[in-house]
Amino acid sequence: MKTGAVDLVQLRKDFGEVTAVDGIEIAIEAGEFFSLLGPSGCGKTTTLRLIAGFERPTGGKILLDGVDMAATPPHRRKVNTVFQSYALFPHLDVFDNVAFGLRRAHVKKKETRERVTRVLEAVQLGDYGKRKPAQLSGGQQQRVALARALVLEPAVLLLDEPLGALDAKLRKALQIELKSIQERFGITFVYVTHDQEEALTMSDRIAVMSGGHVEQIATPQTMYDEPETVFVADFLGVSNLMQVTAEGPEGVACRVKVGAFELAAGCGELGVRGETHVVIRPERVVIEPYEAAGANRVPGMVERVVYNGASEQLVIRLATGTVVQALSVRDGTPEKWTQGTAVQAYLPAEALRVLPPSPTGSAAPATPEEAPEADEAIEVGAG
Amino acid sequence: MRRVRDWFANPWGQPRFLGAFTWLYMIWSIVPVIIAIVFSFNNGRSRSVWQGFSTRWWWGDPYNSVLHDPVLRGALEQSLRLAGFDMLIAVPIGVGLALGLTRWRGYGNRPVNYLMLFPLVTPEIVMAVSLLLVFDHLYHVPFGTEAQILGQVTFSISYVVIIIRGRLLSIGPEYEEAARDLGASQLGAFRLVLLPLLAPAIFASLIVVFALSIDDFVVTQYMSANQQTQTVPILIYQTVRGTATPALNAVASVMVFATLSTVALAYLVYRWAARSQPAGHSALGDIAGVT
Amino acid sequence: MTRRWFWPSFGLPGVVWLVLLFLVPTYAVLAVAFGTVDPIFQTPVPIWNPLHWEFGAMETVLRGLAPGHTFWIVFVRTLGYVTIALAGCLLIGYPVAYYLARHAGRMKGALLVLLIIPFWVSYLMRMLAWVGLLLPDGLVNRVLLDLGVISHPHLWLAGQASSVIFALIYGYVPYLILPLFAVLDRIDRSVLEAGRDLGGSPFRTFLHVTLPLSKNGILAASVLIALPMFGDYYTNDVISNSPRTSMIGNQINLFFQGGAEQAVGASLVIVLSLFLAVLMSYYLWITVRASAETKDSLL
Repeated sequence: MKTGAVDLVQLRKDFGEVTAVDGIEIAIEAGEFFSLLGPSGCGKTTTLRLIAGFERPTGGKILLDGVDMAATPPHRRKVNTVFQSYALFPHLDVFDNVAFGLRRAHVKKKETRERVTRVLEAVQLGDYGKRKPAQLSGGQQQRVALARALVLEPAVLLLDEPLGALDAKLRKALQIELKSIQERFGITFVYVTHDQEEALTMSDRIAVMSGGHVEQIATPQTMYDEPETVFVADFLGVSNLMQVTAEGPEGVACRVKVGAFELAAGCGELGVRGETHVVIRPERVVIEPYEAAGANRVPGMVERVVYNGASEQLVIRLATGTVVQALSVRDGTPEKWTQGTAVQAYLPAEALRVLPPSPTGSAAPATPEEAPEADEAIEVGAG
Repeated sequence: MRRVRDWFANPWGQPRFLGAFTWLYMIWSIVPVIIAIVFSFNNGRSRSVWQGFSTRWWWGDPYNSVLHDPVLRGALEQSLRLAGFDMLIAVPIGVGLALGLTRWRGYGNRPVNYLMLFPLVTPEIVMAVSLLLVFDHLYHVPFGTEAQILGQVTFSISYVVIIIRGRLLSIGPEYEEAARDLGASQLGAFRLVLLPLLAPAIFASLIVVFALSIDDFVVTQYMSANQQTQTVPILIYQTVRGTATPALNAVASVMVFATLSTVALAYLVYRWAARSQPAGHSALGDIAGVT
Repeated sequence: MTRRWFWPSFGLPGVVWLVLLFLVPTYAVLAVAFGTVDPIFQTPVPIWNPLHWEFGAMETVLRGLAPGHTFWIVFVRTLGYVTIALAGCLLIGYPVAYYLARHAGRMKGALLVLLIIPFWVSYLMRMLAWVGLLLPDGLVNRVLLDLGVISHPHLWLAGQASSVIFALIYGYVPYLILPLFAVLDRIDRSVLEAGRDLGGSPFRTFLHVTLPLSKNGILAASVLIALPMFGDYYTNDVISNSPRTSMIGNQINLFFQGGAEQAVGASLVIVLSLFLAVLMSYYLWITVRASAETKDSLL
């Protein structure tokens, strides 16, 4: 039977007046690569530290394979952590660093040597045993930190933004490595990150957190295609969030009104009425010539064309005033749309998703791609 | 005239002027001490008129040299004895207090912090008087070596706390957390991870306490009993205006050499020990930072 | 979970020690100052209960502090010496600290070492050095005689206020330079460059940027050496040894040479402490605040 299932039941942590974790419920399966994703301050690191045992919960329970962990101190939990800053012991060499946990568990010398050598080989640092951490690069240190935790064969491995300090290329390479190690060893990974791309790439499932609670738990595809809240929609990728007035279901879709335009939204909370948001992913937006006609089409103008290497981002200002982004893959066909062209933005109903109205105060986080550009455009126009 | 005025209008901006001033200061600051050391090798009895080179005051003279005069030897021994005990007692207490202050965030932290800082800003005579009175009337501790040690430790602790605390703050809690995560108990994490990381700072505080003790005057004098419990600074104070011979210069020079060489040694050891440590501190800065 | 008493237990010995050997002695000073004298043995008897305190000794001190009386004169003299010495230390120490922090370049390390050396040389050793130089037949007199500045040997060591002040400056200026240097060194180079860039000459940049930024450091360093200077008695005893130049520290010292005078001495200590308390509190306040804001500070 696989071990390493973690259950957080009504978990709560207060720091004085501040509630960092607000009664969250998460069930992580054994052997799963599970990510806690969210902006800084959302409570993901605190949650991790609660699971590790460095913080005591103010309320709720943490269960490891069904057993309540509340009374167990960190050094006795079958849980190990890879720290953001690696925390390699500077006065010990790589071998002694990795062997540290085994020695604390009074593992015999011979077995210690075997296990350490094996795990160092697994992270491709077989010859580095005698080096001191100060002599290693960032990527190598990260792997030593990983080896040090893995060698103990924990049921659950906690990783606190382990790739944050590395450059982009190294990060990508290590993401693949981490994922393959996780699959090979079958250990449950609980991975904390603020990088949504990282979470989408590596995870079996993701929990998006904000302000101490969980917004949504889903697989990466589901999270991306079917966001359940405004926050989640906006946090992962570009969402093309639009404020609309929902007028209720009509057939298999929901009728929404954006400014003077009426659109049919085919997925999400179809029964909603009143002020709410819709989202559509940029790769589903189809740009057509201005003369095109049909349902779910809104006229607009190409404000900017952003070249992204493999793809092209078209920033369209609709007649309603909102800005949407469309993504087109550069497949060799000559670019059709240039800045200033009048176009029609076709928002297919099956890709247009209605979100539940967000409670007052919980507005969508400011997205860097959309708002400032709109402001810049206004300033340029006025100046 | 114009040149003078320009110079005057911009005196601070001229590094050359400032540089000369600084070197002059250095000379003014150190040369008198060097002269005093040189005079310890004077051939005659004078401490102000050079009468030729001789080592009589160091070991030559069978009655009055540092080597042979029991009073001088006694002062040296007492100075070293007090320094040894001071280091032995003040450093562990100080390290413990630094750990307690840094790690304990409870409500007792603030008052204890102030309690620790007070000896640093209290003039020595106030502290010496208070110790004299409490030993005389309450604790009934006789004056002498024990009283001197108790007094010296009392003001040394705070210096140790400052040094260790600075180092603790830059080490941070992560290494111990990692150790406990890997299966070490709290005590184990302290012993196996924190202590080795703290070792250079502990060494530095040993040296600082040594120097503080060797050079201390007021508290040591107030706590002393008789000539047996005299230290070198007390000896200087008692005899410098009288008919002291260059042997006094010699015994004072011994103190200077002892202190400077231990500080230099400490600096080198610190640098060597800290080379594999996390970056972000300078040995010179640490030693200089103790005000 | 963390055993909550793990770390505090490390600190317990230190707390106990400081309470027994710092706090309680402070109370003992009060108990003796407001105590009485044994009629038979003429020894001071401390009174531990505040309700029974007697203020005879304190009255003596306060009367002596009235303008024109003994303690007043000594107090004013001490204030004068400390102020002049402090000014001297600043005039000498600030430029040196400034040079070290801003201009030293390659020589910085060597200069820092030279700067630290007097720090570790015993104060009394440094006084010993000057006594040797200032003796009637010492080097200072001989040089001055040779230069024709004076016609016969001057008695520098016989009750001269100028000698005492000079010695105070010599003795305390190293303790001023290091913290000043620390503060000046910390001033971000780019802030100064911005000052120059915006049109200030080196002098004006100094006046309008460096000086204000180092203001706190100057105050803190000044307090740091003024406090011990106020309690100094040994400088005077070694350099002058005359009641004409005696400082508050000397007065206090007199009362503890044994005998019944302890109550007066203790009262004087209390008065001095109260006076210094203002300075001490200020220093503690800015230091604690500074170390709360940034990780580096004077303490």
